[in-house]
Formats: sequence, structure tokens, C-alpha cells
Amino acid sequence: MTNLSTITLGSDTDPYRKAEERGWAITNAAALESSTTLECDVVIVGTGAGGGTVAENLSKRGLSVVLLEAGPLKTSSEFDMNERSAYADLYQEGTGRANKTGSIVILQGRSVGGSTTINWTTSFRTPPQTLKHWADAMSVKGLSEESLAPYFAEMEKRLNIHRWQMPPNPNNDQLAIAAKKLGYSWDIIHRNVKGCLNLGYCGLGCPVDAKQSMLVTTIPAALDNKAKLFHHARADRVLVEGDSVVGVEASALAQEGWGTTGKKITVRATRTILAGGGINTPAVLLRSNVPDPHGRIGKRTFLHPTTLSLAIYDKQIDPYYGAPQSVYSDHFQWQTVDKGPVGFKLEAPPLQPAFTAGFYGAMGDTLTDSMDHLPNTNCLIALMRDGFNEQSQGGAVELSEDGQPILDYELNDYLLAGVKKAWTIMVEMQFEAGAKTVRPAHKQATRYASWAEAKKAIDSFPYTPFGVTVGSAHVMGGSAMGEDETRTVVDSQGKFHHLDNLYVMDGSLFPTSIGANPQLSIYGLVLKLSTQLASQFSA
Amino acid sequence: MHTNRRDFMKISAGGAAALSAMSTSAWISGCASSERAPGMRFLRPEDVEMLTAMVPAILAGQVGPGETERIANIVKSFDSLLGTTSKIVVNLVLQAFDALNFAPTRALMTGQWSSWSDASLEDANRALERLRNSKINLLNAIYAATVRLAVSSYYLIPANQKTTGYPGPPKKVSGPLPEVDEPADAQETP
Repeated sequence: MTNLSTITLGSDTDPYRKAEERGWAITNAAALESSTTLECDVVIVGTGAGGGTVAENLSKRGLSVVLLEAGPLKTSSEFDMNERSAYADLYQEGTGRANKTGSIVILQGRSVGGSTTINWTTSFRTPPQTLKHWADAMSVKGLSEESLAPYFAEMEKRLNIHRWQMPPNPNNDQLAIAAKKLGYSWDIIHRNVKGCLNLGYCGLGCPVDAKQSMLVTTIPAALDNKAKLFHHARADRVLVEGDSVVGVEASALAQEGWGTTGKKITVRATRTILAGGGINTPAVLLRSNVPDPHGRIGKRTFLHPTTLSLAIYDKQIDPYYGAPQSVYSDHFQWQTVDKGPVGFKLEAPPLQPAFTAGFYGAMGDTLTDSMDHLPNTNCLIALMRDGFNEQSQGGAVELSEDGQPILDYELNDYLLAGVKKAWTIMVEMQFEAGAKTVRPAHKQATRYASWAEAKKAIDSFPYTPFGVTVGSAHVMGGSAMGEDETRTVVDSQGKFHHLDNLYVMDGSLFPTSIGANPQLSIYGLVLKLSTQLASQFSA
Repeated sequence: MHTNRRDFMKISAGGAAALSAMSTSAWISGCASSERAPGMRFLRPEDVEMLTAMVPAILAGQVGPGETERIANIVKSFDSLLGTTSKIVVNLVLQAFDALNFAPTRALMTGQWSSWSDASLEDANRALERLRNSKINLLNAIYAATVRLAVSSYYLIPANQKTTGYPGPPKKVSGPLPEVDEPADAQETP
């Protein structure tokens, strides 16, 4: 691809440059000089895929909305495509978030727009197999493919989600080339972009606002509709009076560091909606000591545990440039739904240098010599569909002594067998596409020069949680929805089982993982649930 | 953060009870220094010594053991990177470093009997390989965290990114977008 370092990009696309002119009510809670109390119809905790969608949908119906976001407000004027500032500003724990033992790195967004500000724009409707499994085995009611279709269609239109029209970048193209050779099914990905310049920096914040994230779509719309946005405002707990939730108490976070300023933001609301995503929504519920008679809060948290294989070619790949994800294969995803080995989706990730170096999980020459070939490097990833087989029950969110969430999720033999299977498939694919050397992400692996040599290594590795490199960019579940109170946290409308006026509307609702990148699943489901909720106000 | 500390040690319960007891005793008896090294927000003098030994092994091929100033810059970058994570991460990393620095646990975990300031490149390599290949999850966790933070500390610096052949990102300036051909996707409807 063209060397993009020689082009310059302006900042005029940033909608927040006109915030004052447009009369937007945005408050940096870090700067509050005293505690404050507000009243509104609906308070929403979180501004990601769930919170953004609810905020627009309810504010346009005339309801008064307050949004609370723990992260900062960072907008495209500041998105300089530099890894260091992006990871520090836009990711939970600066990409340092991990499971309890540290064996799985968890990438999650943490600024206005949540993970939509930093995701790779990949958009899939919830697979029909997943919705059927929820109805058949998870006590979910009223969420068929047909009933959700109009909501998906509306969000696809809203966010300009469409099949990517430009040629895949070479990194993604290797997946297509190999799939064709080996007879695996594959297709082009749908993306939520408008006027995309095909740069490749979606993961560091879109510098030209082409990505139709919540940051530049639903949240500006909600602000136009008089919604109030507080950032640096971390929801501590929901406020309970009798059998009802009556709002949220939040702490103002300091501008720098991890402390609070001591100021509180108390929002009293007719309805309270939690949309902090997997891990953070269950954490608010746990901190609130709300009733949980069956101990379900935070349980069945899923990750799409994702492993990888890195390959070096003679040809130029430039894997840091171009739309990050444009090709996928579900060939190994639905061979069974809930019986048998774990299914996985194959995709390719963008490879900016520091991200790649962390991905290698290697040291010394194995690392640095590989990194010296970054322009010739391709990576394939396999996202495992956890939560369907009975041997995959997910993890549990717990609280540290000072109330911060910790996810207890470990790779068991069932998932480790999936890692081995995924490497077997991906490594062969990379050699088929012409790779000179391939390294599956085992900590003890070196670079292998042939499929036979690699296969032998894959068969001989010890498979342990720390032996393999596995990460996650999709935290789901933890506030599972369904009609069976003994197994779920909220009902199929998103209403908390044990208190009134409290709702969950984000990816933590999912009773299993999705089996596809989850953003559109969140948009469509939350548009439906929030539309149902709105009818309570007009009734 | 005592809960975290206990949780962290709990994962070693299987095969490393003795190790765990010894590291805990290091913390309780206060062997680990609480003073920060000069110019550091988190790292203590013994952490800096240990990382100074480890960095040329982790980044062999890019950084040699004699390159004192470059190593110091990477260790400084490590410290500032910790500041972008979270209290939970920093506490776990510092506890791991306590164990790597307290003589009895250092020897048991890494085979490094003398202090890190005496460690050769071979010693550092052997120490890291022992952590990586150990059957004890706790030691694997220490390897994973140390290596990930160290390589990130290095490759987050733009000048070091250039060594990979990465030309860098486009430049961001104030003002309007440049004139570009309208991409094919812009007007497409779903």
C-alpha cells in the first residue's frame, strides 16, 4: 500500500468543535467545584454501543436524559494515530486490563463512545443460531431473527453499515487467498463508516470521523436533543428506595491519575439504565448490593477468547495500513452449535508496532527479528465462541477491596483444545497463502519454515493458560437476560428481576457470547429494548 | 489492596506454597523498599536494577547490555507506561517485582543467586526462560506481564517503531481535510 506517513489530515470534521454553538450540555466532572444533584426521566451509565443508542432513541422522544461516562471526552481533534496516547486515553486500564491471573489481555474502550470509539468497525447481525440457542436453552423470550430484523435495519441505516467496497488490504487478503485455495467459505465484512479514507487507524480513534461510532452519531444527536453528558463521572452505585431504583450516585474522577475529587454527581431518575458494558455493568450492580438471590450478577461473562498466528512473507503486506478488518471466514464457526468442540470465527487484525510486539508474547531474537519484518507480516486471529457448550460457562466478575472489577475467567481444557485446533487451521492457511515462516502464538514457539515443521510443534506444545497467547476484545454477559430468574439477572426486556425501574442495555445482557463481533448485536437489541421502554412513558 | 495481594498469591497455591510464603514474608518484614528510584513514579531502585538486567535479554537484537542510556530510557518508559494502566495492574506488577527482587524467591524462581546488578545477559535469558517455562502459573504470569510491558515500553517510542520498517501514521494538522478522491464506499447504501 501507499506510504501514508507522507499525507496530512485536518481536524475540521470534529463535531465537538461546535459544542458551544450547538448548545451542548457537556460537563467535565473532574472540574466540578461542588457536588451536584440532577433530576431527569432517564439516567444512562455508559456511552458506548448500548448507552449511545439508548440516549438518542429516548431523547428524540422528548425524554430528559443524563449520560454518565467514567472515561474522558476525547475527540478526533486529538486523535493523532499515535499508539501511546491512544492506549492511555481510550482503553480501559491503558490496555492493561486482564483476567484475574493475567493470562488473558482484555481490550475495552474507555472514553465517550466506549469501545465504539476504538473498535475496528466490523459489523454483523446476531447470528440466527445464537438467537435460536438463546430461545431454546437460555429462557430468552421475544428475540427472534424476525423480531429483531427491523431494529438491525434501522441501526444499519443510522450508522451507514454496509459491505466494504474497496479491495481488502493485503493483511486481510491473505485470509481470502488461503480460504479460496483450501475451499473454506469466506466473505467481505460490513463496516460502519462513511467517507472512509482506508487509513487503518480505527483502533486508535478515527482521525477523520469516518467511523460512525457513538462519539460522532448518537451522542451528538442526543446532545442536540438536550441530553446532558458528564464525563470523568464514575457510577458508584444505583440508589434504591423500597423496591425501586431511583437513580445513580457517581464520583467525579480526577483529571489525572486514579483518584476521585471527592465531589459527587447524584442523578435522580424515573428509569435507570446501566450500559457500562461487560465487567463494568456487573460491577455497578455488585457495588450497589442489590438483591441477587441466585448469585447471578457477574456470572457467565464471556470473552470470545482470541488467539493468533503471525506469518512473514516475501511480499509487502503493510498490515498497519488499510481498513483493519474486511475479510472473515465462518467455515469453522457453526459445525456444531452447543455440542462438540468450540467453534471459531477467522479474521485479521491491524498490526501497529507496539500492539504487534505485545501480541507476539515473545522475547529476544524471536521477537525483534520478527518485528524487523513488520511490513511483510500478516496475522490471522480466531475468535472462539464461548458459552454454548456446557464445558464453557464463562467467568465471574468480582470486586477488589476498593470496589474495582476483576474478572475471574480461565482457559480450561475445552478452550485450550480450541486454541490448538485454530492454530492448526490458521498456520496451514498462512503457508498456503505463501508465507515463508509462521509462528503460532505459543510462548515457546519459534518461527517455522514449513507446515510440516509447524504442525509437529503444534502437536508437541504443552497447552496451559499461560503457554498460549489469548486476548479478548469482546466482553459479553455478566448481567444475562432471560425469563428464568434462577439463571439470569434481567428479563428479556432488560429489566432487573428483583427491583423496579432498573434496566441493563449493553453487551452484558448476552446469555452467551455472540459468535460474531458484537457491536451491531448491541445496537439492534438495545434499540428494541429502549423502544419498548419508551412506551412505558407514553402509556 | 490486601485482597488483591492475597488473590495474587492464591494462584500459586498449587505448587508454590513455599515460594508464596517467602514472598509474603518479604512484604511483611518490609525487605522490599518502598522508596521510588530517582525520577520514577512507581519503580523502586531494585526494580530498576532488575529491569536494567532484563531489558537487553527481552529486546536482544535491538538493545545491547552495554547501551546504558537506551536501557535507562526504556526503563523510564516502563515506569510511565505503568502510570497509564490502573492501580490493580501497578500493584500486581510491583508485587511480582518484590518476588523477583527478594533474594530467596529470586533464586528459587529464576536461578539468579547474586543480585540483578551482577547478572549477565545469559543470566537474564536463563531467568526469563525459567519463568516462561515453569509449570507454576504465578511464574508464567510474571513472565507475561514483564515481557509485555517491556516490549511495549520499547515499541511505543516512535523512533523505535521506525526500526521495524513502519513508516508511521499520517500527520494530523489543524485545518480542513486534504482534497481526496471520494472513496468508493462513501455513497453506498446498505
